[in-house]
Amino acid sequence: MQDQISRAEAIGAAPGAIIHEDTAAKWFLVSSVAYFFIVGIIALLIAAKFVWPDLMGTISWLSYGRLRPLHVNGMLFGWLLAADMGLAFYVIPRLCGVKLWSEKLGMATAALWNIIVLGAVVCLLAGFNQGWEYGELPFFLDVLVVVAWILFGLNVFMTVAQRKYQAMYVTIWYTMGCILWTAFVYLTGNFATLFTTGTNQANLNWMYVHNAVGLIFTPIGLALAYYFIPRAANTPLHSHKLSMVGFWSLAFVYVWTGAHHMIHGPISQWLQTIAIAFSVMLLIPVWAVVYNLFATMKGQWHQLRESVPLKFLMSGVVFYLLTCFQGPMHSLRTVSAIVSKTDWIPGHAHMAVLGAFSFFAIAGTYFVVPKLWNKALHSQSLANWSYWMLMIGGIGFYVTLWLGGFWQGWQWNTWTIPFIDTVVALKPIWIVRFVSGVMMFTGIVMFAYNVMATALGTHEESAA
Amino acid sequence: MFKKADTSALWAVILSLVLFFVGGILTTIVPPMVDHTWAKPFENNDPAKGPTGKLVPLSELELKGRAIYQREGCWYCHTQQIRTLLADTKRYGWKGVDAPISTPDEFVYDNPHMFGTKRTGPDLARVGGKYDTQWHRTHFRNPRDLVKGSIMPTYPWIVNDPKEFEALVAYMQTLGRAKDWRPNHDYEK
Ligand code: HEC
Repeated sequence: MQDQISRAEAIGAAPGAIIHEDTAAKWFLVSSVAYFFIVGIIALLIAAKFVWPDLMGTISWLSYGRLRPLHVNGMLFGWLLAADMGLAFYVIPRLCGVKLWSEKLGMATAALWNIIVLGAVVCLLAGFNQGWEYGELPFFLDVLVVVAWILFGLNVFMTVAQRKYQAMYVTIWYTMGCILWTAFVYLTGNFATLFTTGTNQANLNWMYVHNAVGLIFTPIGLALAYYFIPRAANTPLHSHKLSMVGFWSLAFVYVWTGAHHMIHGPISQWLQTIAIAFSVMLLIPVWAVVYNLFATMKGQWHQLRESVPLKFLMSGVVFYLLTCFQGPMHSLRTVSAIVSKTDWIPGHAHMAVLGAFSFFAIAGTYFVVPKLWNKALHSQSLANWSYWMLMIGGIGFYVTLWLGGFWQGWQWNTWTIPFIDTVVALKPIWIVRFVSGVMMFTGIVMFAYNVMATALGTHEESAA
Repeated sequence: MFKKADTSALWAVILSLVLFFVGGILTTIVPPMVDHTWAKPFENNDPAKGPTGKLVPLSELELKGRAIYQREGCWYCHTQQIRTLLADTKRYGWKGVDAPISTPDEFVYDNPHMFGTKRTGPDLARVGGKYDTQWHRTHFRNPRDLVKGSIMPTYPWIVNDPKEFEALVAYMQTLGRAKDWRPNHDYEK
């Protein structure tokens, strides 16, 4: 399968071969990086509000309850999913050995996506919030998201249909899986919920929330990891069989686990038990993927010293493993009784979406931007710094929130401790979280600046 | 079977969807058909079976208050569920009486549901009748005036709008009241 990657790339270099336009990929990447920076400011603000609750406290549209959904939606859809789509527009045509089916349609999709994100900013700050986590966007924006997703999917599927090589590399299955599953998961969380109430609605909501991570960001993230790790290290993928095990077990297992968000809550016990059982089974796809990617790097680890994309990619794989080990553990009733509803949970969620999937997207962006603009990366050392800032800030963030959350959960379980004492006790945790956030944000600024400077800069020499 | 998906995109599509839909259907469409308590509003007249009472839909004013709760994102910091944990029933109880565990039949009219995922502040499932209007007024104006060390935001734009404030408090007072759980109907107004 690795042959196929190299073949596709070689063809790009051969005289008279296909020239990829990549305009759609560029549009998506540039806007996603810009949102990463802008929404990063929002992230800092809400972290600051935990330490200084009166900060901008009299302005309704800057209050915590308005900014938090903007942070979550902005990072998930404005940054991460947009970057993933841009990278898919780069990767898929190369793996298929053909041009993107329609560059114009891709650009239209990017434009529509920007309209959605800007609409989301206005609506969320104004308090037009549907009241479902990850499903906050008002109905008309939900409809636009569906339209944009269909356009994106159409482009990818048509490209695959016209492919030159019959055999499809893992990355292609994961991308196709992501497009299909996302469609149904999104419809469940944003449309089916409209016809339900109470526990029934919550069940659909959690199916969506859980699978937004499990069947949207996981498959597209892994698609990128499977492509960029062998590419950046210039080494073949360890095992095709293992990648099949990982993919097909993911397809079957993930969707069952939504109810683990309501362990001990007002939802049928048997449904909780099913969710727990399948959550534990998640270890199968995770192990298959992580083992495969690690084994791919065997004998190649020294390359991490030189390559920023590889640093991000392999740290992302480690975080992926950790997150996916935590997930099944949280779903166990005894563990849930301690960590559920505490600050542990944002620690866990950030490790998945920032530590794993954003790291994959950052790596991909660092890798492709010099190629897209045919220029050397503006600054290698700045890229290296951005890695360490995001890495150290990230670890500081995750670890303090786990410790703090565990402690908080333990205090709540000792019901004689007044609630407010458990709030005051967490103050130092939130201060460290804020400082870690500042470090991560610095990393984001360095990343965004480096990407923009490469795109706009004058380093004419082409990337090696 | 899976090998074929390596070369056939159509087969890959079919297989991915079939595998997905098994769990998808069994965990979303089937559960409410099996467990009828999800859709049957709470009603109990027999004290031997636990707290008595009846779930009624919210009034127009209370719904307006609920919309404010939704708009301001109170639900990012407050859950509404007493879980099947002793610590929850004790912590959110009142004068030695344990808070009843939340059951699906108490939430049948909730749209959107407000179960929540994070307790930055305390659970509000049984907060109805815990405090009077004056307390809420002071608390929403500045929580730190009443509870030192609180990190709840201030809500001057709600308190300064009598209609909004009245609606929000009316909603707060409904929370957890379908089950008449406090002895002697001892609730603040
Ligand atoms: C940033 C998180 C946060 C947000 C947002 C928030 N709260 Fe709170 N809330 C808290 C904290 C922390 C406490 C505990 C300290 C206190 O009583 O102020 C609390 C306490 C409360 C209490 C008292 C509960 C009890 O049992 O003593 C009520 C009632 C309440 N909040 C209602 C609301 C409403 C209504 C909103 C939205 C308009 C809201 N809160 C938004 C954090 C938050």
